[in-house]
Order: sequence, then C-alpha cells, then structure tokens
Amino acid sequence: MAEYSWEVRSPLRNAFAPGRLGLASGDAGIALAEISDFSLVQVMARRGQVANVAKAAKKAWGVLPPEKPAAVVGKDATLIWTGPDQFFVLTAGSVPDPVPPLAVIFGGAASLSDQSGGRCLIRLSGSKVREALAKVSSVDLHDTVFPVGAAAATSIDHTGVNLWRGPDAADGHPAYSLLVFTSFADSLWHTLADAAAEYGVEATRTPLS
Amino acid sequence: MRIACPFCGERELGEFTYLGDAAPKRPMAFAADGAEQPEAQDLFFDYVYLRDNVAGDMTERWYHGGGCRSWLTVTRNTTTHEIKAVHAAPGAGAQKRTKAGATS
Repeated sequence: MAEYSWEVRSPLRNAFAPGRLGLASGDAGIALAEISDFSLVQVMARRGQVANVAKAAKKAWGVLPPEKPAAVVGKDATLIWTGPDQFFVLTAGSVPDPVPPLAVIFGGAASLSDQSGGRCLIRLSGSKVREALAKVSSVDLHDTVFPVGAAAATSIDHTGVNLWRGPDAADGHPAYSLLVFTSFADSLWHTLADAAAEYGVEATRTPLS
Repeated sequence: MRIACPFCGERELGEFTYLGDAAPKRPMAFAADGAEQPEAQDLFFDYVYLRDNVAGDMTERWYHGGGCRSWLTVTRNTTTHEIKAVHAAPGAGAQKRTKAGATS
C-alpha cells in the first residue's frame, strides 16, 4: 500500500497576514484569528435515533446536543447545531482520523463525517466586532437575540457558514466563531478583514484550546 | 422578502432557493396489481409540465440552502408576497415539527 505523507497547510495561506490591518492608530477594534489544530465531525442522527444520539452525547461530554441553533460547551468538546437532528463535534487537537472514537460513542445511532480538513475556523472579537459583522451578516447579533451560546447556520457574502458566539474574550468583548468551507476561506477572510479595516484589525493565528 | 425558517428563524431571501408549486403529486404509473394505467401518460404530462398560474395564496417548496439545508413548505400570496405559513417539508430530516419562526 502506498505511503502518504500529508502536508498540513492552512486554508488561509494566501490571505492571512499576521499583525495590524486597516486603521493603524489606536487600539485595534477587531481581533481576527485563524484557529488551527482542531478536529471537526458532522453528526447526523439516523431516522428515529435522536433520543439515542442525545443520550450518547450526554454520556460522552456531559451535555445534551443542541435542539435549536446553539453551541453547547461540554467536557472536551463543543457541540454546534447545524440543522435539525444534526450537529458538529468540535474538539481541540488535530488527529489523523477523529471518526472511530465517535463511532464508539454513537454506535449505529448517527452517521458521522470527518470535516476537520474541510472547514476553516475563524474567530472574531474586540470592541467593534458587532459593527464589523453587521456589515456582512443578516443575523441579528444583539445581546438579547444572540447571547453567549447562540448559533446560526447562515450565509455571509453568499457563503454558507456556521456562526456561533462562544464565551466572551478575556477583555470582556464578545467573541464569535465561524466555520467556513476551506475553499471559500480566503475569500471570506478578505471580506471580514475589509469589513473590519476601518476599526483596525489585529490578525493572529492560534491553535484551538 | 424574508422567510421565517422553522428551524433557524427569520432570514433574508438570499439564503433560500425556490423549487415551485408544492401541490403536484407524482401519479402512479402502474396499478396495485402491476397493470399499466391507461391514463398514466396524461397524468404524467400534467404532473411534469402543467402548472397553475395562481394569483393569491400558493403552497410552495423552498430550500434553505444558505442555512440549515432543510426543505420547507411555504404558503405565500403571489400578488403581495405575504407569507402566511412556513413548515418543514415532510421527510426533510426533521423528526418533529417545529413552530414557524421559533428560535428558542
């Protein structure tokens, strides 16, 4: 059997430039980060198996999977709603094949698909993050409508994304994460950077913790 | 025009694509005993090609491809674009019906 040597490359290798973008003076209003080193698996409950999938998830991560657009933080994993009876399991650390351990957890109750190399994870935070996102997203991100833990499967710049609000950043500003198909990541990064430029952007790259 | 997806809440039209009239039902080509239905050809012609040009309330299929990727059954007034009801289409993967526009 042929031996493969996979080279791990960022989907943002063309678009990403670390450091300051846009407005150069004062504090950066937006922290724009590519989050690397994660495992992502799509879980879809098989017909009539929703209750069993929920039970398995509760046992594995201590939380029930989201039944509405929400992101639930469990032990060692974040479960992100992607549609009716389906969600992502996001875990820190990149592994060659994240599916077998989940197949043990769910038995035959769910269909699983590895999306780790298929999506790019981008996180935005900062004092002006809502103003910047409001330019490109039609989802209402106000605190009362989109609090910590809220999620949405939506489109930004005609590109399908999974958007959710994680715990607030250390500086107290809201933090939004979004998953986008890798082939659209460069384009979306430019869109986000352009939307945020007037507030000053600090671009970083960091592994998921 | 905005559509209240029963799973995602109200979203802009750009996230949806339109299939068309939800009314046509695929006719049976054969009877229960396997015999060919003599009127099947006419029924299929009607099913494939003939559409009512409704002025008023129409039941339609829409696809939320820019969001949760569910098929929806939408009742829309074709003259005013007023949307009166949105439900998950049967067999759309949903195990239970969700109230239109419910996000919590």
